[in-house]
Amino acid sequence: MTALVASRSPRLLVKVLCFAFAVIGCVIVAVFVLFSWQTNARLTRTVVENMEASQQRFAGIDSRLRREHTLQAMALAENPTLKAAVDTYYSERGNEQELGQLRSTIETELVKLQQIMAVPALSVTDVRGVVLASAGPNKEDWPAGARVPLRVEENGAPVETVVLRNGHPYSATAVPLVLGRDVVGEFFLASPLDDGYAVNLAAEARADIAILLDGRVIASSTPPTLRRALEGVVLPLSGTIVLGQDEYVVQRLSSVDSASVYALGSVTTAARTATSETGWVLLLAGAGALLMAVGGSWWVARTVARPIDRLSNSLATMAKARDFDRPLPPTGGSRELDTLTTTFNELRTAVALAEAESEATYLGVIGALAAALDARDPYTAGHSQRVADLSVAIGRQMQLSDPDIETLRLGALLHDIGKIGVSDAVLRKPTKLTAEEFEQIKLHPTLGARILKPLRFLDAQLAIVELHHERPDGRGYPHGLKGDEIPLFARIVHVADAFDAMTSARAYRGALPVSTAVAELWHLIGIDFDPQVVQAMASLPVALIEPPQSSEAATDRPPSRALVQFPTRVATHTAQHGQVALRRAE
Amino acid sequence: MSHPARRLATAGAYPGRTVGIQGDRDTSELDNVVVFVSSPMRVDSAPRRVTIRQTNEEFIPHVVAVTTGSTVEFPNDDLIFHNVFSLSRAATFDLGRYPRNASKGRTFTKPGVIKVFCHLHSHMSAIVRVFSHPYFAVPNREGRFTIPNVPAGRLEVTAWHERAGEVTEQAIIEDGAATELTFSLPLTDPE
Repeated sequence: MTALVASRSPRLLVKVLCFAFAVIGCVIVAVFVLFSWQTNARLTRTVVENMEASQQRFAGIDSRLRREHTLQAMALAENPTLKAAVDTYYSERGNEQELGQLRSTIETELVKLQQIMAVPALSVTDVRGVVLASAGPNKEDWPAGARVPLRVEENGAPVETVVLRNGHPYSATAVPLVLGRDVVGEFFLASPLDDGYAVNLAAEARADIAILLDGRVIASSTPPTLRRALEGVVLPLSGTIVLGQDEYVVQRLSSVDSASVYALGSVTTAARTATSETGWVLLLAGAGALLMAVGGSWWVARTVARPIDRLSNSLATMAKARDFDRPLPPTGGSRELDTLTTTFNELRTAVALAEAESEATYLGVIGALAAALDARDPYTAGHSQRVADLSVAIGRQMQLSDPDIETLRLGALLHDIGKIGVSDAVLRKPTKLTAEEFEQIKLHPTLGARILKPLRFLDAQLAIVELHHERPDGRGYPHGLKGDEIPLFARIVHVADAFDAMTSARAYRGALPVSTAVAELWHLIGIDFDPQVVQAMASLPVALIEPPQSSEAATDRPPSRALVQFPTRVATHTAQHGQVALRRAE
Repeated sequence: MSHPARRLATAGAYPGRTVGIQGDRDTSELDNVVVFVSSPMRVDSAPRRVTIRQTNEEFIPHVVAVTTGSTVEFPNDDLIFHNVFSLSRAATFDLGRYPRNASKGRTFTKPGVIKVFCHLHSHMSAIVRVFSHPYFAVPNREGRFTIPNVPAGRLEVTAWHERAGEVTEQAIIEDGAATELTFSLPLTDPE
């Protein structure tokens, strides 16, 4: 039954596990997806805000740096030698040797200042913008004699400007050299607006840098693709813009003349890093949750399926052993299962009661049948009951268990049921039976067994009915079994049957006295009768075996309680010499 | 020689630092003008002693004119150290730093324009014009000047200002007679 169930449908445990896991898993996955999506959106927003904030911060820092740079330039422009040399330059005009010396004085000062400032180019011009001397790695773009366009503030304040030198755009701070109330020259600190400058600035800004002049990209730290994408694009002062496929946070850091410096941060790139990190964390958490879900589902499945399993196993075991006597143990799994168990137990009790009732009915009927059978012949009336009583007495003497005694009693009661199929003529024939008639008589054990076979509750009694005419020497019927091959109960009933037959009157003879019958039993011990059974019977109190109707035999009854006078020694002797007795019988 | 120059208020260029140039002293650009005979000539005369004071971080007067061999003294009236140096060809020198009430002088032997600066205070400057003759003058506040004892003859006379430039006039000088010359220079006095 279990095998059939296992092969057809999945186990309850598996089903519950799958169902619970599917539900929990779906919830977790849904939560995970929703959470990831939300997190990504929020992260992107945060990234944009962070980048904007950091770019604005850097723009602030940059403008402060530029201010400080200008102040430094102003401090440097206060160099007395520089001023003296420039001012003296005017009064020495016309003397080339002297002017050359003054230029080199200026250059020497500029070199010293350049070492302090590390500016790509330092230059000094006269008030018309003619370069007197320059210093720094980019001084070739600022040769002496070259003209630099000047933009002059009325109050002589420094000017930030973009200067094209040799086609290279420079971001320059121009500080007037002031002597007394007069401006005697201009002092330039200049940085080329090239990719190197952009890259350096980008490293400080932690963002890409693009430098635009008249809307054209003249330098950038960005890859060429982004640089191309920037061409012709109007960048906002501050905000986001889509370039190519990516979104960028843009902040203008500074704007001088027509040149503007922009910081650019790719939102996509920054968000990708952030979201991928968060994604991993989320994925790990999700995997952990799923693992816990498996555990939880397993626990739920077990809790639900375990008691049902236990119940079904108990039932299967019960069905296999055909043992319905014990009640099913309660599973304790749930109230429903306990109700099921209790109901089953009640049902079982009811069925057992009904069975017992029907058994009793059967027995009553069969007992009545047996009695009716006995009554067909006045000589055998009450025979079955007497054999039953005696068998029970012997069984008790042999210390059989109560259920065995019960089996024995019923078997003995029914032992001659097969005689129902033997004709009255044969059964009640007062004279000696012919061989053919005797063969008919010999059929009754087999016939009895056949009659009782359909009654399953009489299985144990079948052997008694069928084999109660077998003899230890193998000359019994119907099978000719020998010694121990014959079941004990059949041997007991055989002795009891023979004894009752001997102590009952027959048409052709009177009832034999008990002592004679017992002697006969002793005489045929080991041949016709089982020694153990005969010995057990011999030790029974007389009252138990005396046939009640044989009044004539009562006079012969010895006064003693023991059945026979044979001393135990003789009985033992006889039992020990069963072979001798057999020989004597022959 | 003329020098293009821009005039401006220095206060903007020197934030956080006050120098007593404007307002404190009655100044006029006329004080910085020198009128002199510019025809080449060499007339020896007695050397002079002229003083340029260093007062309130300013050389006063801003311009002096002397004959060759004259000495210019640079006394320090300020509480702080001052320095006097020049990069000009006619007299390249550095008098070093010295404190209040100290004074150093320099004798100028070559004619020319000597620009004098202070290494400690880059806004300070003065001009010493050295001539090989005594025929020069600085106009008064009305712009008038007198150059006495100029030898007779046909001469060139120049009025000079370091920024405004110079104007030269031809003059015919006769013995015993005064010759009047008028110069016009684009000067602007500070308000």
